[in-house]
Amino acid sequence: MQQTQNRDDDWSKLLVLVGTRQDRSAFERLFHHYAPLIKGFHYSRSAQAFSSEAADELVQEVMFRVWRKAASFDPSRASANTWIYTIMRNCRIDMLRRNSRRQDADGCDVEVDDIWDESPESQPLLVLQHRRSQRDISEGLRSLPAEQSHVLEKAYMEGKSHSEISTELGLPLGTVKSRVRLALKKLEAILSKQGAS
Amino acid sequence: MIRHHPDNNLLVEYASGSLPWAMSLAVSAHLQLCPQCRRENEHLNHIGGGLLEGCEPQETTGDALDRLMQRIDAEPTAGGATGPERAPESPKSRSRNTRDDRDPALARLPRVIRKLIGDNRPLKWRRVSPSLKTTRLTTGQDRYEVAFQRICRGGKVVEHDHRGREVTLVLYGSFSDADGVYTPGDFLLREPGEVHQPIATQDQECLCLSVVEAPVHVKGPLGWLVNPLLSFRPA
Repeated sequence: MQQTQNRDDDWSKLLVLVGTRQDRSAFERLFHHYAPLIKGFHYSRSAQAFSSEAADELVQEVMFRVWRKAASFDPSRASANTWIYTIMRNCRIDMLRRNSRRQDADGCDVEVDDIWDESPESQPLLVLQHRRSQRDISEGLRSLPAEQSHVLEKAYMEGKSHSEISTELGLPLGTVKSRVRLALKKLEAILSKQGAS
Repeated sequence: MIRHHPDNNLLVEYASGSLPWAMSLAVSAHLQLCPQCRRENEHLNHIGGGLLEGCEPQETTGDALDRLMQRIDAEPTAGGATGPERAPESPKSRSRNTRDDRDPALARLPRVIRKLIGDNRPLKWRRVSPSLKTTRLTTGQDRYEVAFQRICRGGKVVEHDHRGREVTLVLYGSFSDADGVYTPGDFLLREPGEVHQPIATQDQECLCLSVVEAPVHVKGPLGWLVNPLLSFRPA
């Protein structure tokens, strides 16, 4: 347990090294840890939101942005996992948009990072995060009933809307919504505790 | 005080990236006005971080790191992890001294809305009725109709319902309908079929962002006259 906790701290420290000193060996360690996770998030035996090749492309783009944005990482505001998650999500939205639309069809400059804005100034000032909490969250996720964690995974990892999940699983939309809400309610106890600690 | 928020299901779709672009824009603007939902959004991002950590790792291709380091080296800012990236302001948004700059309703808006205005200026207001002006906004998508709706003091908008989902985010002033009074930051989601008739309060005009999934359907005998592109019709 102790080890897991320290590990998340370690990733944050490495990110800070990349941000402040462009430390390449720190970046390589981050890459070896996160690249397989980013790929696994999108491509695994159980779920293939992306093809293996597309997932590899995404890994390249996400880690490139991690390098470029590391200076904006603030370990007092976010854990490494959560920060990288938000970069990965924005990257995926970018990729899917690029594939689906004529670029700049209507001359609008609003970008993914404007809408999913995770810049430090948009973060709450007093989020006291996340030393112990990342471990708690992972445990919390594992302790959810399978049907609840399943809908969360479909939402986050496969990027599906509630109505897409309802169609895919043959469940009423209301059932999908309530499973998500029940899962959040269970996790909320952990998440609020971390905010207060 | 903000009393109407996106529900947790909508916030999950936003935080996981599946919520459509235009809806996400409205949620984002709400988040910038609402510390409570920002906090919830943090939690939801945190769940994403937990899922990332807990997922089954998959090997990347052998040369992945080398390819990436080559790309990093080839960057113009070589070796430079730059500061927080902000997209440069578009030239349009830098143009000054337009009427939009002096418009009190546009003076204090969430960042993402200011960016949107920058992309769409000068705003061209179209008078739909004595009490309602509207300007359509391009947002980089065409599935939803995104617009500012501006109701003058005490102005009424015709009763209407929707074929698709509609989000209304109050940005300035306030309005009311049969269900209550809505003030800046309030986020209203109406499902298809809900009927409402917004009325601006007496002391101030009201500016809202509206995001509509499909053209609005006007109730009443003149419904067939409605231009399918119009969101609202005069009272």
